[in-house]
Amino acid sequence: MKYSKDNQLARGRRVRQLKTQGTNLLFLLPAFALFAYVVLIPFLQGIPYSFTNWKSIISDKKEFNGLHNYILMLKNTYFQQAFVHTLTFTVIYDIGANVLGLAFALLLFQNSKFANACRTMMFLPFTTALTSAAIVWSYVYTDVYSVLFGAASPLGQSSQVVAGMAVIAIWRDMGYCMLIYIAGLKAIPGDYYEAATLDGANTLQRFTNVTLPLLVPSFTSNVTLLLAWGLRCFDYPMAVARNMEAAQTSAMFIYDYIFGYSKAGLGQASAVMLTIVLVLLTRVVTYFFRKSEVEA
Amino acid sequence: MTGEQILQRQHRRERLADATKKLVCIALVCITLIPFYISVIYSIKYKSEITINHLAWPKNPTLDNYIRVITENEQFLVGLKNSVLTTIPTIFLLMIVCSMAAWVLARNNTRFYSLMYTVMTMGTLIPFQCIMLPLYLNMYKAGLVSTNLGFIIARSGLQVSISILVITSFVKTVPRELEQAAEIDGCGKFATFWQIVFPLLKPINATQLVLNTVYVWNDYNTAVVLLRDKASRTLPLAQIVYFNENTAELNLAFAFFIMAMLPILILYFSLQRYVVSGVMAGAVKG
Repeated sequence: MKYSKDNQLARGRRVRQLKTQGTNLLFLLPAFALFAYVVLIPFLQGIPYSFTNWKSIISDKKEFNGLHNYILMLKNTYFQQAFVHTLTFTVIYDIGANVLGLAFALLLFQNSKFANACRTMMFLPFTTALTSAAIVWSYVYTDVYSVLFGAASPLGQSSQVVAGMAVIAIWRDMGYCMLIYIAGLKAIPGDYYEAATLDGANTLQRFTNVTLPLLVPSFTSNVTLLLAWGLRCFDYPMAVARNMEAAQTSAMFIYDYIFGYSKAGLGQASAVMLTIVLVLLTRVVTYFFRKSEVEA
Repeated sequence: MTGEQILQRQHRRERLADATKKLVCIALVCITLIPFYISVIYSIKYKSEITINHLAWPKNPTLDNYIRVITENEQFLVGLKNSVLTTIPTIFLLMIVCSMAAWVLARNNTRFYSLMYTVMTMGTLIPFQCIMLPLYLNMYKAGLVSTNLGFIIARSGLQVSISILVITSFVKTVPRELEQAAEIDGCGKFATFWQIVFPLLKPINATQLVLNTVYVWNDYNTAVVLLRDKASRTLPLAQIVYFNENTAELNLAFAFFIMAMLPILILYFSLQRYVVSGVMAGAVKG
């Protein structure tokens, strides 16, 4: 009698557990289905495409041609140029936005109505479309920059166009970096500064020995995020430098080869390459920052 | 010098430093806002005035440009319609499906759920360029290219990874006791989620709502790949076409830009405190 009662209880528990698991999966399903249909499945489908001589999206003819696309791509001067432009853009943009974001964060991290209002305004550029930002800036360059400094707009010159676009990107995203640094600064306990002051540290020493090391998690998060955004750079050159060879980025190269030049296989190979570069660089950056991380 | 004088002097010096800092901040904010200033004044000037005096406030401000953008051709209205009809469903769809999934992922840490979390957040590392060709083909076969529904699905799918990442880390900071109490009272999982958990996620969902609106409303890259018909264009696409057609009439292009941006600005300023605190909250744990 007792045995069967235990049995019943155990069965009840099992049924309840199964039911919980079922509901859990039901809760996960919609988000997972969206993610799978839009990201996961296309990602897995895309890798084999990069090993074929597939020409255009309207033809079904594709044959396996091994690493041919990858070799072709690495030898392609346009690809090399686009890659250099993308990396240059990313480096200027990532460093610029982080340095300015950190500077603004140091100015504005205290809680006051004034600082709050400034933060709100500084974040405003982030709410503009990248394409709009680029178009408006093309006029900031011709109508403000040129008038003030007597120099031609960087967007019109091959040697400066990448830097010119990076400035637009810095303007747009420095507010985002600032907010993340402010969060990091607020998480540093005040006693650390008091202790450092008691030990005779001056402002600069407090900054380099207390603030910077404790901000490492914020650096990691900002630098990797902007790295990913920078390597995908597409909207800015599409909006203001569509036909300038010196402004072609990897993302534009991929777009043109897949949808424009009927070399879908080659385009897809470059896309896979871009993903690999992105993942590797993210890993490297994270590794170096993690190594210098300290516990707060 | 008495002690009081020294104190007074120190006090004065501090006030001076504070004032200088404020001035620097105001100057920096003004510089940052220059592009907005230019857009506004160009959009309310007559064409003849722009070329004479670039940056001065217009002598006779006008809303003519706005009226012309709306009435003279359909691009703006079509773009606006498509942007509204895609952005609103996307942000609410994301809010519901991602909070549901994030709750389950935050509250279960068996191997299966950690794997699901890793897979679903992996998307932040995959650039759109790598998936756009297969995605385009799949959507083409399903008849979803150049439709609002297709764009809603694509944009939602692309935001899932980052939303899950941010909301899951938020759920982990919400105490479990309320849910456990509800379950002891015989509340089912669905009721527990909708009545207890979902309301507690309001701060993070408000943040996500604004940020997702910004990302979806401003999206150009996905739109240029998936929206091939003129009739399906969203505002950023319509804007570039309009801009290229009207480089001679800058004032119109800028009126277009201001109007395209207005809904975001209104949303941003009305939910501003959620955005600022939400971005910061997501950063520390993310």
